Amino acid sequence: MIPLQISPFQYVANGVVFSSIIVLAAIGLSLVYSIADFANFAHGDLMTVGAFSALFSVGFLRPMLGDAGVFGLPLWFFLALAFGMGAAAVISVITDRVIYQPVKGSDSIGLLISSIGVALVYRALVFLSFGTEAERYGVPRQGPIPWVRETLGIAVTPRNLVVVALTIVLVTALHLTLTRTTLGRKMRATADNADLARVSGIRTSEVIFAMWLIGGALAAAGGVFLGLEELVRPRMGFDILLIVFAAVILGGIGSVYGAMLGGLVIGMVHELVPLFYQWGISPVGSRYAAAVAFVIMVAILLVRPSGIAGDSG
Amino acid sequence: MSAVSTWVSETLVRDPTERRIFAVLGLITVLLVVGVLTGVIGPRFLLFQIALVGMYALLSLGLNVQWGYAGLINFSVAAFWGIGAYCAALLTAPNSPLGLGLHPVFGFLAAIVVSAFIAVLIGIPTLRLREDYLAIASLGLAEVIRAIILNERQWTAGSSGISGIPNLMSWLPLTDAATTAAIVVVLIAVVYLFLRRVHRSPWGRVLRTIRSDEDLAKALGKNTYQFKMQAFVIGSVIMAVAGAFYAHLNLYIDPSDLVPLTTFYIWIAVILGGTGSNRGAVVGAAVVIAIREGTRFLNDIGFIQTLGIDLAPLRLLFVGGLIILIMRFRQDGLLPPKDELIWPAARDESSTGGASPSGAVPDGGTASNGGDDR
Repeated sequence: MIPLQISPFQYVANGVVFSSIIVLAAIGLSLVYSIADFANFAHGDLMTVGAFSALFSVGFLRPMLGDAGVFGLPLWFFLALAFGMGAAAVISVITDRVIYQPVKGSDSIGLLISSIGVALVYRALVFLSFGTEAERYGVPRQGPIPWVRETLGIAVTPRNLVVVALTIVLVTALHLTLTRTTLGRKMRATADNADLARVSGIRTSEVIFAMWLIGGALAAAGGVFLGLEELVRPRMGFDILLIVFAAVILGGIGSVYGAMLGGLVIGMVHELVPLFYQWGISPVGSRYAAAVAFVIMVAILLVRPSGIAGDSG
Repeated sequence: MSAVSTWVSETLVRDPTERRIFAVLGLITVLLVVGVLTGVIGPRFLLFQIALVGMYALLSLGLNVQWGYAGLINFSVAAFWGIGAYCAALLTAPNSPLGLGLHPVFGFLAAIVVSAFIAVLIGIPTLRLREDYLAIASLGLAEVIRAIILNERQWTAGSSGISGIPNLMSWLPLTDAATTAAIVVVLIAVVYLFLRRVHRSPWGRVLRTIRSDEDLAKALGKNTYQFKMQAFVIGSVIMAVAGAFYAHLNLYIDPSDLVPLTTFYIWIAVILGGTGSNRGAVVGAAVVIAIREGTRFLNDIGFIQTLGIDLAPLRLLFVGGLIILIMRFRQDGLLPPKDELIWPAARDESSTGGASPSGAVPDGGTASNGGDDR
């Protein structure tokens, strides 16, 4: 234990960073839920695949680019992030074509069970290619930013800021895509009512293609950020999947903006559990942070199953 | 003798595919018996494997009540199994953290009560909603229960596990391995007959209706929430009983088997065997044990170890691939339920009344009753 009294703001700062990761993952899960209409249990392992793809690309990007950096992070990290996002996007599109499309004849439950199989296959492939050990990206260690520490008394590293800033950029980009482009309007129409969208002349297969690309890329971003903040582990995505589901349910299944809000709340609660424990609000400490997210999820199901932003149960 | 074979051909095996599957199973049985007689396989080892298959069969029967009968997606099979195993271990092992050393009966009773209670708790928020809510919540429940068992060392001994669990019915004049194998056979027979009876009852028919069209069941005035809750609790209790049995079979229990992978093994057993089919669940369990023990056996061969291949990921790959392949190519499984809903007497009438000469069931007569499984 750290002997110093940790400032409550420190937990909030950690919460913002963790929330960013959950928001990115929750958006993709929510997109799949609303457009392809099934609970994708492979989404967590897709994050892992993205994180490990980025790790793979570090192997050749780092010697090429050296350690020149921007915003306190080496340039190769940003390219590795892009590589991971691209790889996960391609892999999720291929998975849809090879595995989900052929079982389309069955209902969402058949797809749900298939997604479990996909999750196990993803994880097995990560194990086989990268071994079972936890890895790091090898980004140089950074101290907390001095002026933040002096003024607010909390430790925030430049990489924390990069994670939060990039998340805001990605979420804004998604928002603009959904509201300002034809593709976004098609996606929202398909999510709202797939049959009606098809009748109106929208090629839903294109929408589904775009949905997997976007969902996969955002999941990978979440995975890379998680690997940057903690470790790159083969089980990282599956371990976080339940929290992501809790965020999606809190926000209201199928609502992308609800998923963002739910991710923010669940991620924050997850990091504030030790503080609540100190204050005597929560009976359990950080070992049960995931359990607290689960209890919140069950409570929402009891009180308002449609979530914050959902329209119907 | 011929009466037995007629019974087998009329009751268990009713079409060529199934006959082939049962032929393969029969061949494997013969090989195992030959193996024991020639001393290749130790009888103790074989009895342990039989007991293990039996335990998996119980778990599969439990999941079959939930997924096969009622269409409930339960991803916390391992958790209910663990609840049962830990109830038995904590109450009966003299050196468990509770140190009670009670009679095994109390372990089984506690397993039933606790699992039923937790099943109701998780069913209340989820069973009124769409199927996938239960899937998500039950996966969460499984992780929470695993976290509790790992972290609350003062009650559960954490990752070090509990040893010294007593054998069941050691007063029987059999070896311990034979006794446990006999017990599991009795347990399966009881559960199987019970499930067959309830499946054919009006209760079972309502569940089948819920599974294929819940709105229809509601329109017929059925309280579908209550029916689903009953199925969920029955299935969970069967899983907990399987867990309690395992504690007395293995005589040691730790949280490592509570991982989600255990749950997915049971899912494979059920969907491979044939969703909704109890015979299929038992056969599926045997296949899953063959996969698990087969890969473990490969691991013991020195050759593979020198290659430096870790088999755990391969097993994961195999399990995941198998789920995908079954969902894609054979959603009905190996032994899909055909006419389990129909009383044998009714079937005999239809086959004598129909044009079918060989006593085989005409497909048209049964499809409308049992063919709604997709």
